[in-house]
Amino acid sequence: MSVTRNTKYGDFNISKEAITSLAGGVVSECYGVVGMASQKLLKDGIAELLKKENFSKGVVVKENEGQLELDLYIIVSHGIKISEVVKEVQNKVKYVLEKSLEIEVGPVNIYVQGVKVME
Amino acid sequence: MENINGTLFKQMLESGANNLMNQYATIDALNVFPVPDGDTGTNMSLTFSAGSSDALKVNSDRVCDIAKALSKGLLMGARGNSGVITSQIFRGIYQSVEDLDDINALQLANAFVNGSRIAYKAVMRPVEGTILTVIREASDYTLLYAVDKEDLTCIDVLEKLVYEAKESLERTPELLPVLKEVGVVDSGGYGLVTILEGFLSALKGTIIEKNENAAETSVAGADMESDEFGYCTEFIVRLDPNVQKTFKESKLRDKLSEMGDSLVVVQDDDIVKVHVHTLRPGDALNIGQRYGEFVKLKIENMQEQHENIIMSTKTEEVKEATPASKYALIAVAAGDGLNEMFKELRVDHIISGGQTMNPSTEDFVEAIKKINAEHIFIMPNNSNIVLAAQQAAQVMEDKDIRVIPSKSIPQGLCACMMFNPEVDVEMNVEEMNEAIANVKTGQVTYAIKDTTFEGLKIKQGDYMGINEKDIVVSTKDKLDATKQLLDTLVSEDSEIVTLIAGENTGDDEMNEIVSYIEEKFGVEVEANHGNQPVYSFVIGVE
Repeated sequence: MSVTRNTKYGDFNISKEAITSLAGGVVSECYGVVGMASQKLLKDGIAELLKKENFSKGVVVKENEGQLELDLYIIVSHGIKISEVVKEVQNKVKYVLEKSLEIEVGPVNIYVQGVKVME
Repeated sequence: MENINGTLFKQMLESGANNLMNQYATIDALNVFPVPDGDTGTNMSLTFSAGSSDALKVNSDRVCDIAKALSKGLLMGARGNSGVITSQIFRGIYQSVEDLDDINALQLANAFVNGSRIAYKAVMRPVEGTILTVIREASDYTLLYAVDKEDLTCIDVLEKLVYEAKESLERTPELLPVLKEVGVVDSGGYGLVTILEGFLSALKGTIIEKNENAAETSVAGADMESDEFGYCTEFIVRLDPNVQKTFKESKLRDKLSEMGDSLVVVQDDDIVKVHVHTLRPGDALNIGQRYGEFVKLKIENMQEQHENIIMSTKTEEVKEATPASKYALIAVAAGDGLNEMFKELRVDHIISGGQTMNPSTEDFVEAIKKINAEHIFIMPNNSNIVLAAQQAAQVMEDKDIRVIPSKSIPQGLCACMMFNPEVDVEMNVEEMNEAIANVKTGQVTYAIKDTTFEGLKIKQGDYMGINEKDIVVSTKDKLDATKQLLDTLVSEDSEIVTLIAGENTGDDEMNEIVSYIEEKFGVEVEANHGNQPVYSFVIGVE
C-alpha cells in the first residue's frame, strides 16, 4: 500500500515505509516526546542491534479510503503536561505530512505507552 | 545590590507576565513553526499567567516556595508547544533553587543553565532555532561571563542574559530555514525574551504594568499578515482601444507589486486579468480603471475566508445549474416496496438508508447536486439522519433546502402526501410539518441480543413492538407483538392505519393483521409491502 499520484510527466509513488519514517522523524522532534514504543519487536530489535537509525519505530501507517491514518506509540517525559504534548504531536505530524506530501492525513492516534522519569 | 528575595522574585514574575501579555499579539504574528497557527503568543501568555498567578498567591518569602508554585502552575497551565517548553525551563530553574531562601548572582545564572538543561531533556531530537536555542545560548554565555567575576550583581547577570537572549533570537532564522523564508525570528524565543525583559525591568525597580490595549502589532507582524491575510482582489479590465497599443503588462505589474503580493497579471488581446493580495483593494482598482472598463470584479476578505475555509471549499465544488422545476423531494428509505411508495408520492430521489445504515451528509450533498429544482424538501425518515440532512442543507447554502424532520417512514409518507406543488414553499413546509406531528409510529423488529428496557426483559430473537421510541412489548411471536403494539398505538381518535410489511413478512401475516385491526378498532387500513429490511412491520396511525 502506498500513495500514488499521476502528473503529466509521469507517476510518482510514496511508499508506506517512507511515510512511516517521515512521521517518525517528525515525532522525534516533537517537544515532550522522549522515545517511541516499538510495535514490531523483531524488526525494530534488529535495527537496534545493528545500531541503525530507525525512525519508523512506534509508527503504524494505515490507509483508509484514500486517507492516511497514523498510530503513534510514544513515551513522554515526566513532569510535563501530557495532554498538551499529545495535541502538539498530532498537530505537527498532520501539518508536516500534509505539507510535504500533499496528501490528506486523517486521524492521528496517539498512544502514550510510557512516562520516562529523569533523575 | 542584594540578592533576589521572595518579594522581589514575585515582582519579577508579575512584571514578566504583564510584559508577555502586552506583546502576545506581536508574538502570535511571528508564529510559523512547528505549525503556523499563530497562537504562540496567546499560548505562552496564558501559560505564564497561570504559573505566575499561582506563584503570587504563595504566602511565603522564600524564593524556593514561590518557584515551586510557579513550576507547578506552569505545568498545569501549559498550553501549546511553547507553553510546555516554558514550563520545563522554569521546572529546571526551580530544581536549581530548591532549598534557597534568596538567590545571588551566580545562583541566578546557574538556575537558568539548569532550566535550559531540563528543557532539552524532554525531547529526542531538539530542533535548533527555537526557544530551546535561545535559552541554551543565553544561559550558557551568561554563566561563562559570570563564573570568574567576584562582585557581580543580579542585575548584571540578568542584563547579560537578556542581551545574549536577544542575540540568540536574531540568529534563529539562520538555524531554522522556515523562519528565514518568512523573514521572522522564532516566536517562542521572542516570548522568552519578553519574559526576561519583564524580569529585568522589575529588578531595576520598574514593574511593567498590564497594558489595556495590548493587541498592538509590531511592524514585523504587519509584514507577515499582509502575506497571509488582507483582501484577495481580482479584476478583469477590457483595455481602452487608445491605451491598448501602449499597454505593457510589466508596467502594471510594477505598480501593483508595490501594494501587495501573490500578484498575477495576464493579458490576452484587449483583456487583462489581475489578481493581487493587498491591504488596500481600492487603490488596486483605481490603478486598474485607468486602463479601461472593468469586466468583472471580485474582492474577498482573506481573514474571513481563512475562517470559513472548510465551508467555502465545499460550496465551491458545487456546479451551478439553472433550476428546472419548482419543487423536488428527497427521501431516505430502504426496501424496493418503500421506494416504490415514495416514488408514487412524487419523490424525485431516494437515498438508500435507514436504521442500520445511516446515509452521510455527503450522500445528501450528492443527491442535492443531481437535482435541478428551486426548492428541495428532504425527508430523512429517521431521527438519526435528521442531523446529516440539516448539515447537507447548510453546506449547500446556495440552494433553498427545507429539511422536514420526519423521524420515521410513516411520517415521511404522510409528509409527502401533504405536499402540494400548487402552493408556495412556506405553505408546504407548514403542512408537511403538521402532517408529521399527527402521525404516531409503531415498528416491529427482532432483538439481536438479550437486554432490558425500562423493566421489560427482552430475549435474543424476540419480536419487539416499538411505539415511537419506547419498546412496549416483547414476545416470541411476530404477530402477537404486532397486535399488542397496535393496542397501544390505536386510540378512539385514530382514523387510518398505514401498515407496511417488511421483507420477511408474508401476505398471510399481513392479512391477519389487517383483519385484526378492522375487527378490533373499526378503522380504515392501508396495507402495503414495503420490503424494508430489519422491520417486520412499520405502522403509521393518524
